[in-house]
Amino acid sequence: MTEVSLRQLTKQFGSFRAVDGISLEIGHGAFVSLLGPSGCGKTTTLKLIAGFEAVDGGAILFDGADVARLPAERRDIGMVFQNYALFPHLTVGGNLAFGLEMRKRPREEIARRTAEVLEMVQLQGLAGRYPRELSGGQQQRVALARALVIEPRILLLDEPLANLDAKLRDEMRFFIRDLQKRVGITTIYVTHDQSEALTMSDQVVVMFGGRIAQIGAPEDIYDRPASRAVADFVGRVNVIDARVTAAAAGGFQVATELGAFGLAGTAQPGQTLALALRPEAIGLTAGGDATVIAAAYSGGLVDYRVRTAQGRVLDVQAFPVPRFAVGDAVRLDVAAERLWPLA
Amino acid sequence: MTRRAAPLLLILPAALVLTVFLLIPYFNIVLMSVRMPGNGVPYAPGWTLGNFAKFFADPFYLEQLGNTLWIGAVTTLACLVIGYPVALQLARGSGALRGLRYGIVLTPLLVGIVIRSYGWTILLGNNGVINRSLVGWGLIEAPLPLMYNGLGIIIALTHVLLPFMILPIMGAIQGIDPALELAARSLGAGRNTAFRRVVVPLSLPGIQAGCILVFVLAISAYVTPALIGGLRVKTAAVSVVDALIDSFQWPFGSAMALILAVIGGGVVLGFARATRMAWVRRR
Repeated sequence: MTEVSLRQLTKQFGSFRAVDGISLEIGHGAFVSLLGPSGCGKTTTLKLIAGFEAVDGGAILFDGADVARLPAERRDIGMVFQNYALFPHLTVGGNLAFGLEMRKRPREEIARRTAEVLEMVQLQGLAGRYPRELSGGQQQRVALARALVIEPRILLLDEPLANLDAKLRDEMRFFIRDLQKRVGITTIYVTHDQSEALTMSDQVVVMFGGRIAQIGAPEDIYDRPASRAVADFVGRVNVIDARVTAAAAGGFQVATELGAFGLAGTAQPGQTLALALRPEAIGLTAGGDATVIAAAYSGGLVDYRVRTAQGRVLDVQAFPVPRFAVGDAVRLDVAAERLWPLA
Repeated sequence: MTRRAAPLLLILPAALVLTVFLLIPYFNIVLMSVRMPGNGVPYAPGWTLGNFAKFFADPFYLEQLGNTLWIGAVTTLACLVIGYPVALQLARGSGALRGLRYGIVLTPLLVGIVIRSYGWTILLGNNGVINRSLVGWGLIEAPLPLMYNGLGIIIALTHVLLPFMILPIMGAIQGIDPALELAARSLGAGRNTAFRRVVVPLSLPGIQAGCILVFVLAISAYVTPALIGGLRVKTAAVSVVDALIDSFQWPFGSAMALILAVIGGGVVLGFARATRMAWVRRR
């Protein structure tokens, strides 16, 4: 297991700062996701850690030793690529043996380790196949096995599920997370998919424009976003204007167009705030002064769009029972504890 | 017209052209190769296998065939050695001059074959630019034999056929996902090892295609060997034309042409077999 720390990491492409002073501490055996829209610098950060791009400034420490000047082949990392990057001219066994051959391991050890990882990813008996003869999910697991067979210090995954269909993607999430826990390897996972980041990670690092917008546990990121941009990127959010009416030790009162609420924290009376409210934190009951203007049924849940008496449009997510139709009058019940003031 | 007949109708023009201008002449060559040789006329009545026997009984023709295959093999190897780095550079390089470099690679194909071969005689001759310069600088006493021998033919053919090696290899390298090299690096391979273990094997289909193209074109080349080799070194293709045009021996010339085609085809088939890649998708 390895501890990774990034210190003021920067990478410049021409006049574009792809990575702009990233600092991050990743503990032994942690699973950390870099989450952000395309172009936010998450993949570049991963390439810097892997050694595929040269660092322009800052340090990359593995257990305290700076590896930023080491070539990729000497960093001892396992990497899974978005398109798997399996060697098409080698069989599954050849792909798995490649890293061990580079390390000049004896033939018996290569055979033993290859068989072990094949079993670990549940692909026993496929060692003789070529990658093109495998399904997408199988290729994915071979890529994982190839990265892990060398027993690397850290595991890097670059959007590994992006090319799989939805059902397989859900399966692979659990599979990867389970495997990572069993192996106990420090893992950095790059994705633009917030639900992947939230379901798999110990820590989520949200990135925008080459900088870190927030670091936190999935619950922190989702329920206590640091900014409106983070709240927006990680799931849908309603932003509600509020005015502080009274403050006391450990809490304060706000007035909003959805009613008055008590919140924890400190604020000055008279101050105005923006509050984040997730769609599922609003309940609907029949009869009220709000109107359903759109409803989309998606199986387990229904996504509503509701207009308040004041004319504000809110996103609401609720269970299908009771069900409301477009035009129905509804009352909004806000779960006050889910209101979160945005900085 | 039924739906199924339409595709057949579409290939009809191509099939017609091939039949009239390829299959029928080929059939005629086969027929001619077993006719009796004539005296003062192209051929005499009657049938014989003597034309083939004559070829295989004469060490002169066998040696010439061997020389032709040798020249083809060396030309192929020279094109591969010179062409691979160029193909790699073209496939992986970037920048504003890429189009220009691509154009330069194609230049041998843009000049007429006679003019190009004649150009080489100016360079390679005893009184040619190369020898005059070397003698002038005092580097050699007497001119090097660069023309009227196999070396001259190989030099000129390599120049002409280089694009046929470069283009398929370039295509193959362009088709290699750059992530594969990164994957190899992450697994502990240095730059050179990654190139040797990943890029070279994955460019083999291009190498195979390029080698076959260059070899076939080299052993069947006529103008360049005729001009550079002159009367002293003759390749099989030159001898075929001699027999057909100069000495008017149509049956023997046809037999020689067939032998050259069959043996050349055999070499290509053997090469393709030997370099067969299990991982290449076949349908």
